[in-house]
Amino acid sequence: MNTPERSPVEVVLVDDHRMFRSGVRAELGDSVRIVGEAPDVDTAVAVIRATRPPVVLLDVHLPGGNGNGGVDVLHGCRGLETADGRPVRFLALSVSDAAEDVIAVIRAGARGYVTKTISATDLTRAIQRVADGDAVFSPRLAGFVLDAFGAAAGEVAQVDEELDRLSAREREVMRLIARGYQYKEVAKELFISVKTVETHVSSVLRKLQLSSRHELTAWAMGRRLL
Amino acid sequence: MPTPYERPAALPEARAAERRASRPTLTRPRQGRVVAGVCVGLAEHLGWPLWLLRVGFVLLSFPTGAGLVAYVFLWALTRREDGTARRKADPADAEGLAAASTEGSGTETPEVAARREATRVLLVGGLLLVVGLVVVSQNSGLNARLGILVPLLVVAVGAVIAWSQLDDAQRGRWLGSETGTRRFSLARLVFGGVLALTGLVIMATRGRSLAAIWDIGAAVLAVLAGIALIAAPWALRLWADLRHEQAERARATERADIAAHLHDSVLQTLALIQRKADDPAAVIQLSRAQERELRSWLYAGPTGSDATLAAAVAEAAHEVEDLHGIPVDVVSTGDRPLDDGGQALVRAVRESLLNAVRHGAPPVSVYLEVGAQGAEAFVRDHGPGFELEDVPPDRLGVRQSILGRMERHGGSARVRRLEQGTEVSLALPAAVAPSPQPTEALPQPAPARPQPTEAPPQHVPAGPQPAEARPRTTEEDREATGVRPAFDPTQEGTREHA
Repeated sequence: MNTPERSPVEVVLVDDHRMFRSGVRAELGDSVRIVGEAPDVDTAVAVIRATRPPVVLLDVHLPGGNGNGGVDVLHGCRGLETADGRPVRFLALSVSDAAEDVIAVIRAGARGYVTKTISATDLTRAIQRVADGDAVFSPRLAGFVLDAFGAAAGEVAQVDEELDRLSAREREVMRLIARGYQYKEVAKELFISVKTVETHVSSVLRKLQLSSRHELTAWAMGRRLL
Repeated sequence: MPTPYERPAALPEARAAERRASRPTLTRPRQGRVVAGVCVGLAEHLGWPLWLLRVGFVLLSFPTGAGLVAYVFLWALTRREDGTARRKADPADAEGLAAASTEGSGTETPEVAARREATRVLLVGGLLLVVGLVVVSQNSGLNARLGILVPLLVVAVGAVIAWSQLDDAQRGRWLGSETGTRRFSLARLVFGGVLALTGLVIMATRGRSLAAIWDIGAAVLAVLAGIALIAAPWALRLWADLRHEQAERARATERADIAAHLHDSVLQTLALIQRKADDPAAVIQLSRAQERELRSWLYAGPTGSDATLAAAVAEAAHEVEDLHGIPVDVVSTGDRPLDDGGQALVRAVRESLLNAVRHGAPPVSVYLEVGAQGAEAFVRDHGPGFELEDVPPDRLGVRQSILGRMERHGGSARVRRLEQGTEVSLALPAAVAPSPQPTEALPQPAPARPQPTEAPPQHVPAGPQPAEARPRTTEEDREATGVRPAFDPTQEGTREHA
């Protein structure tokens, strides 16, 4: 997956802590190139619109905008595409474990969520995955998803297209991610390919964004997203 | 910004209050009162005999009404005592003592009530007597200016009625649940107001025609409207200022609370971190612990108490983390009250975690899933793997405290060696440890979700396996067919060793 010859992913880094930005800049290796930085919502929207990077690393809590932090950036950059016609994708970064924050940015369109304690190699991998159009789920986000879709309580969709519940396979994938498994390990465990795992995760992400399940809408309502 | 630690201004105040403490504050007790308890309260406050005050008030009322005015004034300005009987200090007052000894507050013995009733009758009688005397003196040629006295009396009675209503309002009764009381007090208020207004009008229109009254009424209305118009912005401003100040004060208090918390927690930890800057392990441990503390303070934690399974597992993980300085990530979904089986599960998780941090390598993570079918916990590390042969005594510990414990509580445990690291899976069926109070008793971290009405198999009679059973069946199938060379087969079968 980590092909060495691929060109570095261009990334805009949005975070209001300069120390964190310089830390990430120093940590990320050659496979990621930071083309822009922004400390608040308005600068972020301007920088992203100007550079149109394939990936934006987006802090959930930001000053400015309408006071909704990263969600405002996502709304401000809706429908934006890179120079070669791919959508600008967002990876949410946060120190917060609060479910409503996470669900809010995901529902606003972020392709994944990782905590700021993530290691540099994992972050690089996550950025590449998002650049490829896949979703990135941290164990904690997987836990949220299982909780929010009632999967832990045994609710399983009968049809894959059902938006309000996870399919049995998606649930399995989420469970393994929550257990701390990498995609590769999940694939091995379930005897499926990594690509299939990614498909399942993306499908879960889609459900997370589109579902009208009560808990999700309640969370979103709490952040005035609807 | 003033923190709650510095309160220099409070000191002299407190001393003054101490000085004052020997003298009870001026309130109007409910017990032993005749009209509104002003005399009783005053007697208590000043330490004067009660009868002296009462006689004094009555005597002062006669020539000019000064006593009456003073009484009403005190009545309006004095707070009513909050129910508690603290009048034992005055042993001369038998009434109060009797009331205080027989009950805490409110109700009175019939004896006392009857006595009070008698006093009231006396009072009313005296008042009527005064009125009669005035009328008689008027008739006998003495000009007592009845034209003023009668309206004044009417105004006073109206004011008393209306004010006694306010008095009750202080008691909080007008917010009372019974609408009857509320309506009654409203009627009283209106009646008192009308009475007072009538008195005022009579006083103002002495000896004038109805047309003149009408003119005066119109003029008064116009003046009142004008005053209201002029005063309204100012009053509104005042009101807004008051609200603003209240909000500001609330905010300042909150900020002081936050400052105090940050001072106690984050600043202390930061100081410690600076001092231990050359010890990375200590720094990590300190910051993890602080992060956890701050998080639980900000987001009210997982639940705050260890009464639920998820909270107990999180607590065990934090304990291990603090003990060994290796970060442990906890993810949990669902929750249930902590029962015996749950406690066993928590101990087994703790033991597995201790194993993981001792013999494995970070990242160490726990995943807890509580569902309708039972609870499952997974403890994973990324170490070189769990070698049974290497540490026999520890293995005994694993057997006893993980495998044995889970089986004793009807659950199961399995140690699996993954490609990278080890995973301990613990399962506790719900059937063996039936929680008498199911899910509705526990605090839900998320908005209450509709519980599934039935187990999946009911919905899918012949469909695919219910997802609960799926991982186990697939794994067991694989184990049976031996498709899995990556995993140590001896690890898979540890149950037999136990």
